Amino acid sequence: MKAKRLLTFRRWIIPWIVIALLVSACAPAAPGAPSAPEQAGAPAGEAVTRANTLIFAADMTDIITLDPAVAYEFGGILPVGNMYETLLSFSPGETELQPVLAESWEVSQDGDMWKLTFKLNPNAKFASGNPVTADDVVFSWSRAIDINKSPAFLLTDVCQMTKENIRAVDASTVELKIPGEASPSVCLSVLTFTVAAVVEKAAVEPNLGDDMGESWLNDHSAGSGPYVLERWERNVSVTLNANPNYWGGTEPAMKRVILQNMPEAVNRQAAIETGDADIIQDVGPEQAAALEGNPDVTLVKGLSTLLVYVAVNASMPPFDNPDARQALRYAINYDNIITLLGGNGELVQEIIPIGFAGHTGKNPFKQDLEKAKELFAKAGVAEGTVIPFTVATGTAPGGVEWATIAASIQADLAQIGITLEIQQLQQSELLTKYRAQELPMLLMNWGPDFPDPDGNATPFANYEARSLAWRNNWNDPQAIELSKQAAREIDPAKRVELYAQLVEYVQNNGPYAILYQPTQIFAVRNNVEGFVYDPNDTPSISLWLIRKK
Amino acid sequence: MMRFILRRLGGLVFVLFGVSVMTFFLAQIVPADPVAAALGTNAREAQIEAYRRQLGLDQPIVVQYIRYTGRLLQGDLGASIRTRRPVADDLRDFLPATVELTIAAMLVTILVGIPLGIVAALRRNTWIDAAARILALIGGAMPIFYVGLLLLGVFYRQLRWLPGPGRLDSTLQPPTTVTGLYTVDALLTGNWPVFSDALAHLVLPAITLGLYSTAVLLRMTRSSMLEILGQDFVRTARAKGLSQRLVIGRHVFKNALPPILTIIGVIFGSLLSGAVLTETIFNWPGIGRYATTSVTTLDYPAVMGVALVAAVIYPLVNTLVDIGYSLIDPRVRTN
Repeated sequence: MKAKRLLTFRRWIIPWIVIALLVSACAPAAPGAPSAPEQAGAPAGEAVTRANTLIFAADMTDIITLDPAVAYEFGGILPVGNMYETLLSFSPGETELQPVLAESWEVSQDGDMWKLTFKLNPNAKFASGNPVTADDVVFSWSRAIDINKSPAFLLTDVCQMTKENIRAVDASTVELKIPGEASPSVCLSVLTFTVAAVVEKAAVEPNLGDDMGESWLNDHSAGSGPYVLERWERNVSVTLNANPNYWGGTEPAMKRVILQNMPEAVNRQAAIETGDADIIQDVGPEQAAALEGNPDVTLVKGLSTLLVYVAVNASMPPFDNPDARQALRYAINYDNIITLLGGNGELVQEIIPIGFAGHTGKNPFKQDLEKAKELFAKAGVAEGTVIPFTVATGTAPGGVEWATIAASIQADLAQIGITLEIQQLQQSELLTKYRAQELPMLLMNWGPDFPDPDGNATPFANYEARSLAWRNNWNDPQAIELSKQAAREIDPAKRVELYAQLVEYVQNNGPYAILYQPTQIFAVRNNVEGFVYDPNDTPSISLWLIRKK
Repeated sequence: MMRFILRRLGGLVFVLFGVSVMTFFLAQIVPADPVAAALGTNAREAQIEAYRRQLGLDQPIVVQYIRYTGRLLQGDLGASIRTRRPVADDLRDFLPATVELTIAAMLVTILVGIPLGIVAALRRNTWIDAAARILALIGGAMPIFYVGLLLLGVFYRQLRWLPGPGRLDSTLQPPTTVTGLYTVDALLTGNWPVFSDALAHLVLPAITLGLYSTAVLLRMTRSSMLEILGQDFVRTARAKGLSQRLVIGRHVFKNALPPILTIIGVIFGSLLSGAVLTETIFNWPGIGRYATTSVTTLDYPAVMGVALVAAVIYPLVNTLVDIGYSLIDPRVRTN
């Protein structure tokens, strides 16, 4: 009797559970869908334990690829830069190029072309154990040009590289020719970026598929860097293992590195507090305050390469008049903005950020309302003038709302009788209008595409490049000429001098008021050593230098 | 029965068509440019134009829609603007996580809501009833994000009894994919460490997601039971001398079940939408979080893919609920 009653009850519940399970079983992976990628095998030698595993948590929602020829997102560059190597690089804190796969290089003139010759290091070898040859370099660069994804313009436009002009002279010599109007200095800087990283031809070529090997490289690595890919779980984590055949001097102390995608700041804070993560990125002002007194955690600040700036349209009144632009620069209370940032930004008033060759460190503007008023009057801008001021929704780099910074500037100008009408737009919508040269005044940020002063100088100063100067309709022959001259100069000292001239010129004539360079805050567990962040380098975090006590 | 199912499936086609039209044209109304959003501040004009052409976004809207529908009819959801992968691949990767979480929340809801509702109805106006009603009140009133943060704060950060956000400890390797549900796959492959870790990771998000629906189901069960308890046939059954268990199990609960089943169907839909917030708080890599990222990056093909999946699941569950009806109530069958 009892059993029957039980059965009666079960009759209702069991079908439901079966239904629920059926729904779930129908939903996922279609048959034949690829399951977990093949494993690259555990690192040789030492067993992987929590003690030699580094867990790095950050918002890495932006990772869309692990192919060096395609990656152009912060989240993707970190693993890619630790798995692949370029011919040369910048080292932390240095603005001079260092050898990596190339032991030496030479720039010479060849008719009306520049000739860049690279001698490869004979010891350099891939994770497979095979040597890195000139053939691999030619293959990698040609592949990046052919695949033509987001970062390809660095090679094709900035460096002006064509496939015909890349040549393997012998097994260890690569020759690259670029047109005379291109800049060899800029090109060398571009070559430090992951798009120019070298993949092993013998490993990639058999796996090209129908997308030139991109999908294959998303689940396998074929580089010479200190780490190899264990697996990429989309939207969750990228797991790297130490390269057992790493040829570079430092053997990675961390046998395994897990790059954990953790978009929520609160979760990252909890992870570093509990020790579930060893390092977290993007610590906001609130989290920083909460972690300040934590005895197990140290906050590490690093400057980003970004600049946050006010831009005005130089062909729309009132800012078609240079005096009005200068007046704006004197009207802003920069210190107030820095205070708002609560230590998350450094005052910078020039177009070349700290950490780049050519940065002058001069901040000539301090709020001077009398002078601003005078200059506005000289430009014929009457009190009571209303100017639309467009800002993005959401948070600006440095962790303060865009609208808050805009309100501070609005209050400054209100003091001298100029009304800024703040309009908030979704960032991509703002960009579309900015690109169409429609905005009289806006607040925005810029980060260089490659670690060279030209990555900022050309966009900010050269109207012909159809970047920032163009978006602000500022067509100034002197600025254009100076930026071109500086880009082409191959003598580093002369180059720095030319950039100093350009910086000063744009500072006083350009359509910008540069406000600050935001910082990036990391929280690091106290048993972690050797963590350095330098955004000029690729990768900006050298995972192989990190150790645990 | 077969005709009934076929009719339902026929209806599903119309629903899907409606959803595809709506999501497609809603995406057109939003003023922002998805290509500009995908390529960022530094993108050059030429790059933007090239990508726009590649995606076919330079075509008139009608042409775009015809192409989109044409692909859809072949089962192709298009490629995500942001990840550049086929949307179907993304969904295949992220849907199992949501399904696993939703089922777990559903289990919490059913296993807590129904028994507690029954007990509350039987012990009406006792302390058990009062406690159940307070639970229903709290569960119904507390927003998901608050519950989630509270549970994480207490059980993960303070007590450390349960693991934090995520589906699996980051040092563990996910089980070989069979269904995509970590707990099920780990069981199937006999991977006990992964099974227990995945199960532990499920507890807090499942409670968070299931709390509200538990409250709803509890209240529904209680009132439905009370209604039936007061009916004449129950008195008759008792008068016949049937045991309390038989009266409740066979006569009362069985008759109280149809409205409860309806609510369960509705709840499943609300769990799917509630999963968006829960997944964000618990760093759960499901389609809820995928949808959020896709919306904020204006990735319309992805948003449309998620909407279509939801549009399939919801009517499907309702059909299953209707089939459930006919199993418990012969009158539905004969109609």
